[in-house]
Amino acid sequence: MSKKSKIKLLKKHVPAYNREKATHAMLRRTSFLMIICGVILFIPLIWRLFDLMIVRHDEFESDAISNQTRSTTVTADRGTIYDCNMNILAASKTVENVFIDPLEINNSHENVDFIANSLAAILNIDANSIREKAAKLDRQYEVIARKREIEEADAVRKFITDNNLSGIHLESDSQRYYPAGTTAAQVIGFTNAENRGGDGLEAYYDDVLQGTAGAVITTKGNYETQMLYSYEKYYEATDGNSLVLTIDSTVQMYLEKNLKAAIEKYDIKNGAFGIIMDVNTGAILAMAIEGSYDPNNYLEIIDLAELENLKKIDEDLKRLSSNSPAYAALIKKYDSAVAAARLKQWRNRCVSDGYEPGSTFKTITLAAALEEHAVDENSSFYCSGAKDYVDRDSTLHCWKSEGHGPETLANALQNSCNIAFADIGMMLGGDKLYDYIDAFGLLEKTGIDMSGEATGVFHTKAMLMENAQLTTVAFGQSVKPTPIQMVRAIAAVVNGGYVLQPYVVSEILDENGNVVEKHGKTILRQAISEDTSKEMCKLIESVVTDGTAGNAKLPGFRVGGKTGTSEKLDVYDENGRQTDDRIVSFVGIAPMDDPQYICLVALDTPSRDTGIYISGGVMAAPVVRDVFADTLLYLGVQPDYTGVDMSTVNIPMPDVRDLTEDEAARVLAEQSLTYETVGSGGTVTGQIPAPNEMLPGNSEVILYMGETVPVDFVTVPDLKGMNPAIARIAMENSGLYLQTKGSSWAYAVVTDQEPAPGTEVVRGSTVTVELTDQTALD
Amino acid sequence: MLKHNNFDSRQSNTSSVGVLDLPFLLLVVLLTLVGVLMMFSASYARARWETENPAYFFVRQAGFAALGILIALIAGRLNYFIWYRLSLGILIVSLFLLILVPIAGVEVNGAKRWIQLGPIQFQPSEIAKLGLVLAFASMMAVWQDKMNSFRYGVAPFAVIMVLIAGLLYLERHLSATLIILMIGAMMMLIGGTQKRWFILGGLVVAVFLVAYVMLFGYASDRVKAWLDPWSDALGKGYQAIQSQNAIGSGGFLGLGLGRSRQKYLYLPEEHNDYIFAIVCEELGFVGAVGILLLFSLLILRGYWISIHARDRFGTLVAAGLTTKLALQVFFNIGVVSGLLPPTGISLPFFSYGGTALLLQLFEMGIILSISRWCVNKESIGGKKA
Repeated sequence: MSKKSKIKLLKKHVPAYNREKATHAMLRRTSFLMIICGVILFIPLIWRLFDLMIVRHDEFESDAISNQTRSTTVTADRGTIYDCNMNILAASKTVENVFIDPLEINNSHENVDFIANSLAAILNIDANSIREKAAKLDRQYEVIARKREIEEADAVRKFITDNNLSGIHLESDSQRYYPAGTTAAQVIGFTNAENRGGDGLEAYYDDVLQGTAGAVITTKGNYETQMLYSYEKYYEATDGNSLVLTIDSTVQMYLEKNLKAAIEKYDIKNGAFGIIMDVNTGAILAMAIEGSYDPNNYLEIIDLAELENLKKIDEDLKRLSSNSPAYAALIKKYDSAVAAARLKQWRNRCVSDGYEPGSTFKTITLAAALEEHAVDENSSFYCSGAKDYVDRDSTLHCWKSEGHGPETLANALQNSCNIAFADIGMMLGGDKLYDYIDAFGLLEKTGIDMSGEATGVFHTKAMLMENAQLTTVAFGQSVKPTPIQMVRAIAAVVNGGYVLQPYVVSEILDENGNVVEKHGKTILRQAISEDTSKEMCKLIESVVTDGTAGNAKLPGFRVGGKTGTSEKLDVYDENGRQTDDRIVSFVGIAPMDDPQYICLVALDTPSRDTGIYISGGVMAAPVVRDVFADTLLYLGVQPDYTGVDMSTVNIPMPDVRDLTEDEAARVLAEQSLTYETVGSGGTVTGQIPAPNEMLPGNSEVILYMGETVPVDFVTVPDLKGMNPAIARIAMENSGLYLQTKGSSWAYAVVTDQEPAPGTEVVRGSTVTVELTDQTALD
Repeated sequence: MLKHNNFDSRQSNTSSVGVLDLPFLLLVVLLTLVGVLMMFSASYARARWETENPAYFFVRQAGFAALGILIALIAGRLNYFIWYRLSLGILIVSLFLLILVPIAGVEVNGAKRWIQLGPIQFQPSEIAKLGLVLAFASMMAVWQDKMNSFRYGVAPFAVIMVLIAGLLYLERHLSATLIILMIGAMMMLIGGTQKRWFILGGLVVAVFLVAYVMLFGYASDRVKAWLDPWSDALGKGYQAIQSQNAIGSGGFLGLGLGRSRQKYLYLPEEHNDYIFAIVCEELGFVGAVGILLLFSLLILRGYWISIHARDRFGTLVAAGLTTKLALQVFFNIGVVSGLLPPTGISLPFFSYGGTALLLQLFEMGIILSISRWCVNKESIGGKKA
């Protein structure tokens, strides 16, 4: 019924149609459609597929593969830097970076707050910074913690597995560490966050140390799913090579210690530096620049004045509103101050900057003049304190205004007489002096294997042909070589004339410790004859024994050297006037009978407020002496005490307890000691000083024969300003021994003592005083 | 009742009931088998990721495919005159369902185009396409002599097309709107509408198209992402890049069946609209062109049946449904390969979706039933068999 009516309804609206075959026109149009839809439409599709799949196949394939694979870097271990005794100066350890994949975290519906708070607690970082990184959904790699120790990384791994989390990953990285801290920092340098050398040897030898990173490439599905058909490829990493340096950390440490002490003592304003080199090979044993920085924390500024300045800027910043132009300007100032302070503390002044060698340069002038026979040991000079030279407008004044009077050649060097050396320069001639300056390598880089080496500042040959320049240069003013150039030149003066190429890396080792490259002595040329060199050695030693370097005397060792004091060139005060800043230096050589080590110490801008006369002889020579005292024995230079006043040498107190008086007397006599007895026992029951305490030779010790040794303390008196004889009496009265160092001149005065006045010490202790020849004014 | 009998008696006079067109049936079965197999491969990783059962989508799709082929065979046995009688009803029901979509529709991937009916989910726009083909064919068969007039040859069809387009407009379903308009226009072309109206209609559609793209930001962003997917590689351009990476990786011979890498969740919609990208990646240029060839043969055979149909209704229905198939294939592969801007069109026989596959096979069944009454298969396009 209902079906019938429905059909009726349809019939009403849709009339029955002619069931005839379609017309010609219809079929023609259908055929047209057939061609369009069945053939034509497929042409662009096939053309497009051909383009994508055949023409551009490689492009899409590589894009797809880079998308479908995860490449895990296998880091190569960076090589180690050893000192000459294979002590580690720089090494790498494995650490881990923690990173998150914000997209993956989001897609796996992890609880971001939970992850952020937990990771913040484990890694000791700010939870908000993690939340911010997790919100970057367009990123798949956001590092939240860098270079963490394995223990922390393990804690993160445990957290991930315990909570079955997705999107938190770890990757191994490498962390450079410097066990010796600030030691030789500017020499070794540092590596930056990307583990590439940032400065020093780390930068110069970066390619050698770096090695080649490997990789593991694995296919993975999106969201870290596994693929049914996956492949893995492994590229092995090659570890970097290691460096063995010529630097000896022990020597380096002593050089740094003594430089630090000098900075303190003389209130040095602008830092100090020193170099110790083997004069016969050019191997650098130590190279120190104070104040040093810690390469473990190379961005941290160590200069206290600079920190003070930065703190001030920071306080000013807090007062300004953060969007004012003044704020922006101050920020800029702050940033540039930070950058400048960092560059300064990283800078290796010993190779990168010139300095004023002052009178130490006279050794070069003299060596040249002797080699050219312009002068000989019988030459004589007269210094009236001032002298005029043809074509020199201003009168030349010697540093000693009353003049040195008549001088032999040796006296001229011992006195560091400017007028005598101006005369020597005139005798030699500007062209010859220039040729020797060139021959000694002062016009060229030394070729030391360190980055950033500079050449110093020198006059041209034409300028030296004018008397005004020649006379000035001849006594060591207005020249500015680098410290390493100067050390090499003076080494050549004493080593037989051989100009060497200095070096700091002696060996390069592969990852198995095999030597792949060896560096050694490289002679570039001979500047002077061996005979002239021998003559120079004699003269240089006499500067210490009889000249301005008396404070460098070291009992038992034959030390020679030359002092230098110079006004700093190119330093101007805020009014544009040249300042009166000085740089004082001393170049010491030991032992003089067979020169082995050369040590340059320069102190930049000593304060005028200490009351100590500013000169290389007073300030720098004792530093070199102390460095030699600390290191020569260690380096295997045997002391020779023949003809040495034993009271200037410290010896260990022998143990004579339980011996009879006769036996004790014999033992003590062997050590040049005398004694006094207290009590009447048969054997020694006690002694002052105690066994192995150091005391000066020729001293009198006290032996207790049955009596108990009194244990009492005495106060160290203030000895400053006394001459040696008076100081000795003061000591005897206090029950203490006096040891001296420095000048042996009877009129030298005590300028320093150890322990300090007022210190309570055990009776029989030794007080060491520094005796300074205060007439050593150069 | 009388007309019905008359129809039956007439057909037996002019031609005899033959067998189903075997080439067409074989092509349909072959494409269904290949489609389901590729759907299995493409959906493998997604199924495991979402349900931990790699065959999850495959089992469902295979079931629908079997059912669909059965339906096609049944539809093939039916006298297609029944669709003449039901055509307006189907159209009206589909219009009603289209109205229902914005009210009670289900949202999938940010677009409300689906209707949930118990366990079945389907797109009313798919039914509307079928309804339109059947209704247009019926109307054109009846008004065949008046088709060159505006009143019969243009106005009723234009009204229906504007009505459907308007409803699809509410769904923001640009691709379905375009396909329906194109199917309608092609049927009018065959039906005898005068050519000048197509020029006018083309202009109107062009104006609407420009206005649409300008009106809807997401659509013009899509266009931008189509022209330069790398400008937003992780956002709007992501799908296009992943799809082209998959296609390009395939090369000449492909990575091998089951060895797609892009299906491991890199390519979104990898077993739905973008399945052809995985086909290309696994089977290579050779396989992709082979499948295009199968589609081409099926389409050519569909028109062949249309041309040889016993009567005008059959010609128009077979042509309309074949055109629909051709447009779906063209637009889908055009979009997947980046030739056309991205829009949501599924690939017949391949894309995951049970009801869509059932409907597709049902439509193939209608063409098969038309093929049974084909006149003298040796002479093409004669006035009278």
